[in-house]
Amino acid sequence: MLSVLALTSVVLLGIASQITAIVVYTSWERHALVGSDVRLSCSFFSWQWTSPDVTFSWQYRPDGAKEGISIFHYGGGAAYVDNKGPFRDRLEFVGNPSRRDGSILIKNLDFSDNGTFTCDAKNPPDIVGRPSSVRLLVFEKVPVQAGVVTGAIIGVVLGLLILIVAIYYLMRFLVARRVFSLSMSKHGKKGKGKEGSQQKQAGPLK
Amino acid sequence: MLVLLAAIFLLHIACICLLLAATIHNAWWMTDSMSTDIWSRWILIGGNWNYTEIPAHYPKEYLQAVQASSVLACIFCILGLFVFVAQLYTLPKGKRFLFTGAFQLLAWLCIMIAASIYTDIFHKDKEQGWYGASFILAWISVCLTFISCITYFVLRKKTA
Repeated sequence: MLSVLALTSVVLLGIASQITAIVVYTSWERHALVGSDVRLSCSFFSWQWTSPDVTFSWQYRPDGAKEGISIFHYGGGAAYVDNKGPFRDRLEFVGNPSRRDGSILIKNLDFSDNGTFTCDAKNPPDIVGRPSSVRLLVFEKVPVQAGVVTGAIIGVVLGLLILIVAIYYLMRFLVARRVFSLSMSKHGKKGKGKEGSQQKQAGPLK
Repeated sequence: MLVLLAAIFLLHIACICLLLAATIHNAWWMTDSMSTDIWSRWILIGGNWNYTEIPAHYPKEYLQAVQASSVLACIFCILGLFVFVAQLYTLPKGKRFLFTGAFQLLAWLCIMIAASIYTDIFHKDKEQGWYGASFILAWISVCLTFISCITYFVLRKKTA
């Protein structure tokens, strides 16, 4: 029974590796400050084992341009960075191809680096697949994303409320345990009756 | 007795529905071709409604305050409903539903802050248009949550 199951799964896996293509992953959008460095990550999913002939290529298309230029290539075990184009001396390969990581590091960003970076990875024999793009936005001052401030306000108010309720119950607990002798313990609490047995006087009922 | 309980429960649910509608539906201010606030703006172009950003000239901090307090009002009202059901079972006889009332009080405060800020700050220059459905629902929720809050502070649990 188990062997039949194992056989079926191996057969299905074999079939699946012929059907599914290589899937390349990058971020959707990256925001960075002028003058800073940004690491553009690229990874892939493939049913085949990572081949020693795995290749990564990065292409750059400026905002408004129709065509892109090639700025990075990793193949045959060696990395080739841009030495003539807009990224010469600024590009560095920081990926680990055997771990399916083809990330590059761009140093000292400028406003002219705004654009779309496309990563294409190939893992022979699994070579059919779509490249993936990441948009780079270079800012003078990184803007706060929409909704972050609103969410922060909501979170802070809820957190304060929980804190106040927790402190209230803590104080009640401590007063009931005679750890503190606050004046609060003299009047009765209009409570849920949990610590009602501790109070000797009747609480004021409105 | 059961009728009273059902009525109070329904009032609370009505509060929740109105609050959610006012918060989610972008219709605090409307013109013939535009339905706007508090999250985004719908503009009617060529027979189609298009989803666009709120223009940048809106005072940012006030808009965020309205957004945050209307969401908080919804949260407190919904939590209040669960607390009410819990208190129905755990409250000893003769006690008041104070915890539930506290949540409704907070919800009332929050939606009142949201509606007041919006009325006072936005759309003050005599631009064309009228206050939309969400705005009206927000102010109705102010009244309903207040009534609900007072009810919980006054009501006593009759049967154990």
